[in-house]
Amino acid sequence: MKRKQHPVLKRLLADRKAAFCLAFLALEILLLLILPLFLGQDPNLTDKTAGFWAPPSSEHLLGTDDVGRDILARLLYGGQISLLVGYLSAILGTLLGVPLGLLAGYKGGKWEYWIMRACDTFQAFPSLILVLCLVSLLGPSVWNIILVQGVLGWSSVARLVYGSTLSVKEKEYVEASRALGATDRAILFRTVLPNVIAPVWAAFPMKVGRAILSESSLSFLGVGLRTPQASWGNLMQNALELITLTTRPWAWIPPGLCIVVTVLALLLVGEGLRKALNPRGSR
Amino acid sequence: MNVKLKKILALTLSLVMACSLCLTACGNQEESPEPSGETVNVNYGLSNAWDSLMPYYSVSGSNYSRIIYDKIYDRLAYVQADGTCLPRGADSWESADNGYAILFKLNEKAAFHDGTPVTAQHWADTLTLVTDPACEVFGRTFLSGLAGTDDTGAAVAGEKLGVDVVDEYTLKLTFKNPVIPNEFLVDYNREIYVLPTHLLAEVPAAELMTNELWLAPVGSGPCKFVSELAGSNLVLEANENYQLGAPGFDTLTITVMDKANLLTALIAGDLDYYAFGGSVSEENRPIAEEAGFTVLEGTVPATFYELMLNNESISDAKTRQAINLALDKELLCLQSAGSMGFVTNTSILPGTPYSGPAAENAYDLQGAKDLLAESNYAGETLTLACTSARASLAALIQQNLNEAGLNVQIETVDSSTMFAGMYDGTYDMAVASHTPTTLPLWFTASRFTEDNNLFRVADLSYYTQILDMIQQETVEEARVALVDEFEAYLAQEVPFVPLWFYYSLHVQSNTVTGIDYPSSSYCNENVWEWSKGE
Amino acid sequence: MKHYIVKRILGAIPVFFGITLIVFLMMNMAPATIADAAGEGEASSAAMRAALEANLGLDQPILVRYFLWLKEVLTGDLGLSYRTGQPVLRMIGQRVSPSLILTGTGVVWAILLGIPLGVLAAWKPRSGWSKLASGLTLFSFSAPSFFLCLIAIFLFSVKLSWFPAANMYSAGAGGDLADLLHHLVLPAAVVCLGSLGNLVRQTSSAVSEVLGEDYIRTARAKGLGEWAVLWKHAFRTALIPVLTTILNHIPHIIGGSMVVERIFGWPGMGSLLFSAVNGRDYTVIMGTTAVVALTVLVTSILMDIVYRLADPGMGWGGDRR
Repeated sequence: MKRKQHPVLKRLLADRKAAFCLAFLALEILLLLILPLFLGQDPNLTDKTAGFWAPPSSEHLLGTDDVGRDILARLLYGGQISLLVGYLSAILGTLLGVPLGLLAGYKGGKWEYWIMRACDTFQAFPSLILVLCLVSLLGPSVWNIILVQGVLGWSSVARLVYGSTLSVKEKEYVEASRALGATDRAILFRTVLPNVIAPVWAAFPMKVGRAILSESSLSFLGVGLRTPQASWGNLMQNALELITLTTRPWAWIPPGLCIVVTVLALLLVGEGLRKALNPRGSR
Repeated sequence: MNVKLKKILALTLSLVMACSLCLTACGNQEESPEPSGETVNVNYGLSNAWDSLMPYYSVSGSNYSRIIYDKIYDRLAYVQADGTCLPRGADSWESADNGYAILFKLNEKAAFHDGTPVTAQHWADTLTLVTDPACEVFGRTFLSGLAGTDDTGAAVAGEKLGVDVVDEYTLKLTFKNPVIPNEFLVDYNREIYVLPTHLLAEVPAAELMTNELWLAPVGSGPCKFVSELAGSNLVLEANENYQLGAPGFDTLTITVMDKANLLTALIAGDLDYYAFGGSVSEENRPIAEEAGFTVLEGTVPATFYELMLNNESISDAKTRQAINLALDKELLCLQSAGSMGFVTNTSILPGTPYSGPAAENAYDLQGAKDLLAESNYAGETLTLACTSARASLAALIQQNLNEAGLNVQIETVDSSTMFAGMYDGTYDMAVASHTPTTLPLWFTASRFTEDNNLFRVADLSYYTQILDMIQQETVEEARVALVDEFEAYLAQEVPFVPLWFYYSLHVQSNTVTGIDYPSSSYCNENVWEWSKGE
Repeated sequence: MKHYIVKRILGAIPVFFGITLIVFLMMNMAPATIADAAGEGEASSAAMRAALEANLGLDQPILVRYFLWLKEVLTGDLGLSYRTGQPVLRMIGQRVSPSLILTGTGVVWAILLGIPLGVLAAWKPRSGWSKLASGLTLFSFSAPSFFLCLIAIFLFSVKLSWFPAANMYSAGAGGDLADLLHHLVLPAAVVCLGSLGNLVRQTSSAVSEVLGEDYIRTARAKGLGEWAVLWKHAFRTALIPVLTTILNHIPHIIGGSMVVERIFGWPGMGSLLFSAVNGRDYTVIMGTTAVVALTVLVTSILMDIVYRLADPGMGWGGDRR
């Protein structure tokens, strides 16, 4: 089983675009964690000498915001949070969705019916509405948003796993295991799971990307992470003011670009993964 | 199969396309609000939507709803920014019965939009209806001063309601406590409207609020209803027979748009004016002036900022005093109001007989730390609630308080959650702003009652006593002395922290003349004096 | 086939209940109720709030209220908005067409641009078209719509003054078509860009798969011209997945795009729902949720039918997708 990973990784890294993006993502995480320590600015401290809305200077590379706080520091710390929310939401959704999909596909019958109905329920909904309602109910803390986005993300993963499980469960090696007397649980986790997990891996980066986009949209609208907690989304809220939109592009364009670039990199890694996992398949 | 499939696909696709095109066309016709061309139309912008068009059924009781009712329905008086009251639905008013009653002489030319003249009977019937307990009014505390009502403003069975028709055009209101007519109007004029009760004779009180009439209301105000797209657009036309004169335009189109877009739309010519009084922030002032608009500076402060405190969780007065000293109000004021604000240590507007000496900035970090050390503050985290618009201000407040040694955590919530949370003690502090009036008790009278103990003060007896005394005292000198005593007590106890007052800047319309910009702070606009060129 | 349709409809009913119940429970457990929204900016008294709650029937247990609401829905009455006192159905009716216009136009543009682009990209795999297609797709997937809105306003409204920044019509300028179109361009362009990625990708993968099929090679070998091959076989067969993608957009069209409508001040379903959630206007939230949920369910049933018609191998059995 272990041998299976290496060829995939090799193929992935051989794909130049995907490898570059992977490196970029790793570098980004590193930068976001280390740079703030070097630059030493506090994202929540008002600089009384610089004042409010100071333009970029050597002191404040991206200037100060409406409370006199260093924008670059907020961008970096906000990035940490945005990425944290993105990755953890995707992981949570995957952890929830995989077992449910397996169960539905393998056991069939009532399990299949109800889990798939639940899938329908969750997917039927424009998720923004559900997230909006839940977050306004639970309160806009970082963990609540991770929880909400994660829990609402289980259905896409479950459906993927379900589909794969259906086809795998009829295969000979599964039959063989059953004939040998293995328990259902053993079959599920040792035999079926490794063979259905591939599409989940391939979809994972995109999932992270979607989570980042969703969180930033919510924060921008003012219903996700709220100031003073910085996040790439709410850093752009000031752009709704005409004067900031027109005269202070340094305040709102960088966070937007960060989001675009990060999600783009995630997308390309995802595509690379898809190709690496399925080299003979079509685009 | 192939043929069948083709058919179905083609059908579905064309259906989808046809539907969207069709509805585009239909939708377009629906939205076409009013005739263009020859009529003179004033475009009026508003940043928040109103509730229902029934003035006594507004859930939020917000100023946005009131400014709409002000157009369709008539009020007793027109209150200017400095607190003087001019005739409107009533020509004049005077005190009667030793100050316990007010006699309103109504304007005899006033008439409803269906032609029926407005009489004292209409006013009396309106007030009787609105105080009827069976009638589902949202918030009638403004009527709780009337004789024969309970604390919520509902009429008490068996007692005579203090509303009388003296003759066809004279209305008499009787109160539980003596009332100065001008003060009554400054406080409550914006809540009282006359309804077309002759059209509601058959309607039972319980169904009054949801009656169909309010979908196309009939009032006696300076504008008549034409059409409405709830929450977004309202078209009114001028009432040519309005008793103070016909407005100088044919139609008034009110559009809701995001606050940030109001100025842009004004500059682009999409709007002639926007509520409230074309107010613009100091930051955006140069944009307006560069675009060729004149910016008027208000002469009466239009906003009061305060920090609400939970007196139950912050039980030691020393802690509250420390909070007061730890705030660098000048800096906070600068961040929020620019140069148009000035710091205050009281809720009373300057320039009234009741105002004390001008405030000095009491910022004293060391003093705050000392007081805190003496108090019973044990390092617990205090929650500071604010709306998203005030989040920056809250962040600054948090820093100030941190410097003094207080641990503060900010919770950004929406307005209703914030007030609810202060009310039931969930939060320890909250930042809020209000529209002041020139009366000394405009802020304090309603917040220190058993019914509405917003600051969760443990023992309200002093407050109840002094407020009663002030409200019943009619001699001004004695009143001033009592108010001074009250203010001294407030400075000592610090149940809330007054922050600053803020003068509005008004962008004047280049197309409509006659607008009295500052009076919009009392939720009324003199549309009958507006005139649009051509 | 009929049996299948009935089964699907029956299966959709618990989903509908599930969604509406979840949203109903959630909104009711929120810390602040509509009664607290009363007296915004002013002090609100306990007595007044209690009276308000009694008026609106908020003092009854949750499940009771849910079933009361459900009963009304089944008779076609979505109730009255707590905030405006107007019938919810009427409010939704007024807001559906603006959403349809905005999101519908955006999606139609995406279709008109995306399908030809996808076809071209599949037909000529290494050409400039293909690169353009993949570039646009990536951009479409990775740019958040609110960022696109801000950039659009910044560039085209503020700097170039080509288009207005907000609202459906210039306030009171007479609701004519030219004015509407003028206001429509920017927000619809953003919606179009957002939907473009998926469409291009689906089209190009479907077409390229078909183009690789044996019968296409046969047709080419037989001497059929490129255009004929493309039109007769590739295009038609590739239409199925494309159609499902389009149908996927219908709930989005009806429900409106919350972000775009909010930023551009477009009076559609999205902004209605947003203000309702912030204002705790339960009846409007429930009504809108119900309408959107219904649309989604109907669309997914339609989609399923089309799918099975297209792929006879799937049969009318269980849940395989």
